[in-house]
Amino acid sequence: MSECILQAENLSKHWGGLKALNEFNIKFYDKSLHSIVGPNGAGKSTMLNILCGTYPATKGVILYRGENITGLKSYQFCRKGIGRSFQKTNIFKDATCLENCCIAAQQRVGSSFNMFKSKHSSKHVTAIAEDALEQAGLLKQANTKASAISYGEQRQLEIAMVLATGPQVLLLDEPMAGMGHEESLIIIDLLKSLKKRYCIVLVEHDMDAVFELSDLMTVMVDGQHLITDVVDNIRANPLVQEAYLGNDDEVF
Amino acid sequence: MEMSLFLVQLLNGIQYGLLLFLVASGLTLVFGVMGILNLAHGSMYMIGAYLVYYFAAMTDSFWLAVVIASSIAMVIGVIIERFLIVHLYKRDHLDQVLLTVGLIFIFNAAQSFIWGNDPLGVDVPELLSSSIQITDIVEYPVYRLFLSVLCVGIAVGMYYVINNTKLGMMIRAGESNREMVENLGVNIGTLFTVVFAVGVTLSALAGIVSAPVVSLVPGMGERVLISCFVVVVIGGMGSIKGAFVAALLVGIVDTFASVLLPGMSSMTIYLLMALILIFKPQGLFKS
Amino acid sequence: MSVFSSKAEKVFIFAFFFIALGIPLFFNENTFYVNKISTMLILSIFVMSLDYLVGRTGLITLGHAMFYGLGGYLFAIMIPEYEVVNFWLYTFYVMVASGVIALIVGFIVLRTSGIYMIMITLALAQMTFYFFADSTEYGGLDGLFIYLKPETSMFGLNFLDLDNENHFYYLCLLSLFNCYVFCKVSLHSRFGRVIDAIKENPERATALGYNIFHFRLVSYVLSSSLAAYAGYLFSLQYGFVNPTMMSWEVSASALVMAILGGLGTIFGAILGVFVYESLHYGIEHMTQYWMFWMGSLIILMVLLLKSGIAGLIEQLVGGKRK
Repeated sequence: MSECILQAENLSKHWGGLKALNEFNIKFYDKSLHSIVGPNGAGKSTMLNILCGTYPATKGVILYRGENITGLKSYQFCRKGIGRSFQKTNIFKDATCLENCCIAAQQRVGSSFNMFKSKHSSKHVTAIAEDALEQAGLLKQANTKASAISYGEQRQLEIAMVLATGPQVLLLDEPMAGMGHEESLIIIDLLKSLKKRYCIVLVEHDMDAVFELSDLMTVMVDGQHLITDVVDNIRANPLVQEAYLGNDDEVF
Repeated sequence: MEMSLFLVQLLNGIQYGLLLFLVASGLTLVFGVMGILNLAHGSMYMIGAYLVYYFAAMTDSFWLAVVIASSIAMVIGVIIERFLIVHLYKRDHLDQVLLTVGLIFIFNAAQSFIWGNDPLGVDVPELLSSSIQITDIVEYPVYRLFLSVLCVGIAVGMYYVINNTKLGMMIRAGESNREMVENLGVNIGTLFTVVFAVGVTLSALAGIVSAPVVSLVPGMGERVLISCFVVVVIGGMGSIKGAFVAALLVGIVDTFASVLLPGMSSMTIYLLMALILIFKPQGLFKS
Repeated sequence: MSVFSSKAEKVFIFAFFFIALGIPLFFNENTFYVNKISTMLILSIFVMSLDYLVGRTGLITLGHAMFYGLGGYLFAIMIPEYEVVNFWLYTFYVMVASGVIALIVGFIVLRTSGIYMIMITLALAQMTFYFFADSTEYGGLDGLFIYLKPETSMFGLNFLDLDNENHFYYLCLLSLFNCYVFCKVSLHSRFGRVIDAIKENPERATALGYNIFHFRLVSYVLSSSLAAYAGYLFSLQYGFVNPTMMSWEVSASALVMAILGGLGTIFGAILGVFVYESLHYGIEHMTQYWMFWMGSLIILMVLLLKSGIAGLIEQLVGGKRK
């Protein structure tokens, strides 16, 4: 089994009296895809946001490669190697796809305080950006404005930007949200190839995709961890079926 | 410092602070519910003062002038909201700043045109023109006490309205979720007009009742506006309780500074604000 | 890839500087107009620095005049009263000193956003205004005088005589040109790429690993130092500084000029200044209550012209590229 790259211990998040996340324990392994599923309001997005540093945890510890990164500022999480994509498309709409990835790549390459070298002068940055676009299948759209590409392609761009930062962990928040069947297949193929190299944490509602891609699945209910296991065991588990009873959007 | 001087200055400071609170609550009401920072809020204070000067001279009655001036201020508020502010709701902060700055320019020019640049004064109304004995050597003007009581009364009244009436409920709801309020069938347009008119009338009222104790000069509106900003910033983001505490703090500090530190009296409250911000960037109280 | 964002910009910049070079020759003996235009050039630097901060970095401030005034005051305070100092050396001193102050102010101000930043910047500028207005050692409301203009020698070569209006004019023009070039180059640089990203989508920029506070702070310090430089030139031109240089009216009208010219365009600052000041002088000739008409024009502009005059010109001339 590959190494445990990201780990949460007793992670809790309280918003005033509301316990969005309660004593959550989980381990994510390198070169695998681990899905997080659960009914609406289960706390999936909250957990994702804490793992990438957007929200601070109320209690608990996050370990990245054994290092405690819990107190770090949000921008530092990405620098450590934890990249995230957003549920609601969050790209630089006025820039080209290539530029979107260049912005991401430049952070990794550095010298961002250089005021005299033109932004187009680094071949290294451009190379990383083009590589990320290629991995995401968007190279042909490199010079198109991000606002001009289709919704599905924008979701691909989200992922391309994350890749350009050179992460080790990819936290993907519903990358297939609002996508049709055809478009979803593109993302599924992309994730299949990416999981050979990265540790992917996937929050998704598209259960077909989840079953096809996951090496491990975690089911969450009401901010609590219910079960973590391989796909077949999850499907058969009565507790999980009970958690989803009455819920229309998930079908086993 | 002598006890009697201290007492007088303390009362003055509280009175000034309460007036600042009145102005600040008008400002906060408008940007809390409508998301609009009205830089011309100080101009309304000035308009109130000059209007009461005008009508007090014309009608020979201070109280009648107060009523007329307040009514006119309210009408001005409605007109500004209906014709100008209404275009700002879907636009960004910069447009708000620009438009309200334009209003300041217009109001200042109008003031200068109508009343000129020399300082003017309004007489304290006869009914409240006496002084009362608060200690055996200290006398204090009744009118200033009236001001403090009035401000507290208005504050209590606002608290009651906001927490116990339908209008208040709409205001509280509008503050947190505009769309939700619209979906509940409330006419947001009318609500906003009412809120804006109330907001600027509070400022104008502060100017109206202050008129007998301050000097009416050009630029008085902006001075109050910026002091108001200091109150809101010190008090904390969106906190009415914070604004109240901060207003009293600012009022008292400013008053004592003008007596104790004449060389730097005007900048003391800003220095206070800067110091507080260094340690508490969100202000004293969080919302 | 061109540094110019649009054809309109290219046309304007070439036309402007070409015409500007010939101004002193055109006005020959009449130094009144040369002086007026020098002041507008100085103002352009100030407004350009504001556009850098508001239009490109996305930080709305109503207190930028604070640094404008500080530029003049720092110079007046630092120089010995009756001595002729070196222009270049004091340019360096003024910009460094104002940069340090901007660093401290930036730390206070940049932890807020939106409406609160507007309020705080205005309040801090007002504090600085009162600091000088109430002071006795800094001249109070009268301000300070600069009796002797600095000399401009460098490596033994004497360039300009700042008492000569034409020389001073060319210094201002050169300064504006340098300011423009610096703004354009830095915004087209790696730094500029991040600044643009932060302005468009700060959440995304943070998620990509950028510490947006640092970048904003750098931008704040840069634009404040530029504003101080403008104030310093102004104080040299007129030989005095006073607190009105830091008043909220100066900050507000600078913002109006930046928006009038086209926010974020950088070159629009020049346009905005010349249009606003022309309107100002034009209307003031007709009535002392010019503010009434200016205020009305501003309101009309907000309601009708969304991207300023630069935007209007761009539409007319066409050819926008990124």
